[in-house]
Amino acid sequence: MRRIAFHFLVACSFLGSAAAATRPHYGGAVRVQLQSAPATLDIPANAATADYWDATRVLALIADNLVSMETQGRPQPALAIAWQNDSNARHWQFTLRRGVKFQDGSAFSAAAIAQILAPLHPDWHAQSSGDTLTIDTDNPLPSLLAELALPRNAILKRTASGLPVGTGPFRVGEFQPGKLLKLAANEECWSGRPYLDEIEIEFGKSLRDQAIAFELGKTDVIEVSPAASNSASARVRTSLPVELMALVFPANSKAQDPRVREALSLSIDRRPIQSVLLKGAGDPAGSLLPNWMTGYSAVFSVQPNVPRAKALLADSRLPAFTLSYDPRDPQAQLIAERIALNAREAGITLQVSLSGADDLRLVRVVLPSPDPATSLREAARQLGLPQPAVRSNAVEDLYQAERTVLDGHPVIPLFHLPVAGAASGRVRDWDPDRRGEWNLPQVWLEADSR
Amino acid sequence: MADIAPACHGSILGDTARQLAHKIATSSGPGAIALNITNRSSLDDKSVREIRSALEAQLRTEGVRIAQPEQAMGSVEVILSESLREYVWSAEITIGSDEKRVALMSLPRPQAGVPSAAAMPVVLRKTFLYAQERPILDAALIEMTGGSRLFVLDDTQVVMYRQQSGRWEPEAQLPIVHSRTFPRDLRGRLLLRRDHLFDVYLPGTFCRSGASVPLTLACNASDDPWPLTPDEGSVRAFFATARNFFTGALSPGMGRISNVPSFYAAAAMLRPNYTLWVLTAVDGSLHLVDGMTDQVVRGPRWGSDLAAVRSACGSGAQVLVSERGDPERDSLRAFEIPDRDPVAASSPLEFDGSIVALWPEGSSSGAVAVVRREDTGWYEAYRISLSCGM
Repeated sequence: MRRIAFHFLVACSFLGSAAAATRPHYGGAVRVQLQSAPATLDIPANAATADYWDATRVLALIADNLVSMETQGRPQPALAIAWQNDSNARHWQFTLRRGVKFQDGSAFSAAAIAQILAPLHPDWHAQSSGDTLTIDTDNPLPSLLAELALPRNAILKRTASGLPVGTGPFRVGEFQPGKLLKLAANEECWSGRPYLDEIEIEFGKSLRDQAIAFELGKTDVIEVSPAASNSASARVRTSLPVELMALVFPANSKAQDPRVREALSLSIDRRPIQSVLLKGAGDPAGSLLPNWMTGYSAVFSVQPNVPRAKALLADSRLPAFTLSYDPRDPQAQLIAERIALNAREAGITLQVSLSGADDLRLVRVVLPSPDPATSLREAARQLGLPQPAVRSNAVEDLYQAERTVLDGHPVIPLFHLPVAGAASGRVRDWDPDRRGEWNLPQVWLEADSR
Repeated sequence: MADIAPACHGSILGDTARQLAHKIATSSGPGAIALNITNRSSLDDKSVREIRSALEAQLRTEGVRIAQPEQAMGSVEVILSESLREYVWSAEITIGSDEKRVALMSLPRPQAGVPSAAAMPVVLRKTFLYAQERPILDAALIEMTGGSRLFVLDDTQVVMYRQQSGRWEPEAQLPIVHSRTFPRDLRGRLLLRRDHLFDVYLPGTFCRSGASVPLTLACNASDDPWPLTPDEGSVRAFFATARNFFTGALSPGMGRISNVPSFYAAAAMLRPNYTLWVLTAVDGSLHLVDGMTDQVVRGPRWGSDLAAVRSACGSGAQVLVSERGDPERDSLRAFEIPDRDPVAASSPLEFDGSIVALWPEGSSSGAVAVVRREDTGWYEAYRISLSCGM
């Protein structure tokens, strides 16, 4: 199946490159398929990574944030056009964009935003005054802009039936929970009406189903396994690594001894797993944050060292540990079994199982922000670790904060992984950003007459 | 941190290497160490040699001698890496059986460099004018008292630059005030005028500059038609205020024709007794309008943008047309239309990105093209000129 999809995607790339340099056309509907089957249009707490990306892709079409972040981590104006903060980053003032309306026609105002942010952040004190929104916090928040740019802080209201109403380029037309979402162009969008008239999203489609529908021309935009996307196809776009796969130890784990955890980390040969089981996607990881965010990941070794692992365990009598994984992750079981094989060479017995109490879990977490401090905090939150104190994004401060999180090996980083998507040849200007965010408001469809 | 200009890049690399050497020496103390440097960044070999040289020299100054591993008290593994924002250099220092210590340095990465600047009747040449991060909609180069001035139009302002010491320095920034939301694929036109300096046409907005210094710009909401050529008495066409094309309604018309299909761009090719208008329609077709008839030409897969130019080559009238290259490398090519079928008059002139605007210059002796670079996402304005080929 994968081979068929690959050949089709390559064929699409040749079709796409034959067109002339045309300006974007208005009109038409793009068909999208996604894996998740959401009952509501929001970002579920502790969502599986696939559900997270799907939810954020949908909400990004409907809503905007006060600010956005470039891939290099620089904040950019969105619903806020200017901001300033005091020297200790506890008082922030935002000037809001004028001429913006919610999709239900209601006024976009500082008061409305304060009302939206209040339940999301009870520890913030958001107040409005004319076009100005102020946010005060008891503790310094130097990464507030990056926080505001996270998908969970999108500025949106809810209808009585719970549907989101934002200021973004598309509004909800029809929603069948778990099955279908139709989005219509927001003619009044402050950033310009999108080129497409409509986006139709089918939910609950496995990657395999998506590939088949794509091959048959029944859908235009699909998710692709990054493993399959290591092709030369111009229609597949693979992001920078934006997920971390790691082993994490629950609080009641029998593996509490840091030497055991270190020995386990040293026993894992990450490169063969990455090249074979992950089909070359991503990078072996010894750090929580990928190198594109920090530049220092090489300092965290990913080299296996079985003799040292055995030396660490020399005086220990170890019980067998139970390793669990997320059964929704199609690659997780094989990777868990390979880790168990590696561990055995060092004298550690791991039983891969989905039943009973686990001593360690193979998990994926999202690194949602290009701002490294924000992604570090988010990774720690998803992994159930204490929140790191990151003084600034200076490389030394980040390194110290990350090193502190990893002290005692509460988590063993394994791989940094990308996400990928593909678009058919009729979708023009398909150019997802390097963090994997799809740019559907910017795409347009080739005119049928051409 | 600000980005590094390429000229001072070298000295900053050396300075940073010396600071890293100081951190290493502070951690290791004086003595002999084995030093290994690995480059995992985009730095070239010359830069790496410079870093090594500066690092070793500073280590020697601080009493640390480079030795073979078997003669050293410890080892230092330096890795030159980078994130998207900056170069990050790490040094892992291992002395005896002590735990590894890590020293880190970072410095901003430089911006991608700005590019330096046939047996056909016409040879196209591009001259780089200006580059910026915001989308450039149009640009105009004129000679004024005190030297050349460059006007750059984007979605927020018109900036007048004056050339000083080979660089364009801003001389006046004139904000564009508008009440209507601009469309996504924003287009705009900056036209030089005789009785005042220039007019700006944007979807739903018209701006007029003052005639004297200090320069002013007055903008107001307007649905007035845009001139299709730089001449003041030009045919004008209504622009769809929430879209990226002309509606097709003309005022005055092209001869007897006052309505054409919606189009992206129009080029006026002067003929002895009439003007032949070439239109790129929104539906992808090419229209030739001679004032009496509107003929659809099927076949050529031109891009959306075109501009008429006059030259001393070939028939004297050419139209510059955007074409898509492989992949996302657009090009411009000159065509002549001797009868009804366009004939290529030049080889393609390639750009490192997509052509997002193409407008004829005031004199129609050339054109201004704006390109969005694939690698940096920046917008670059070029002057396109023609010379005669073989």
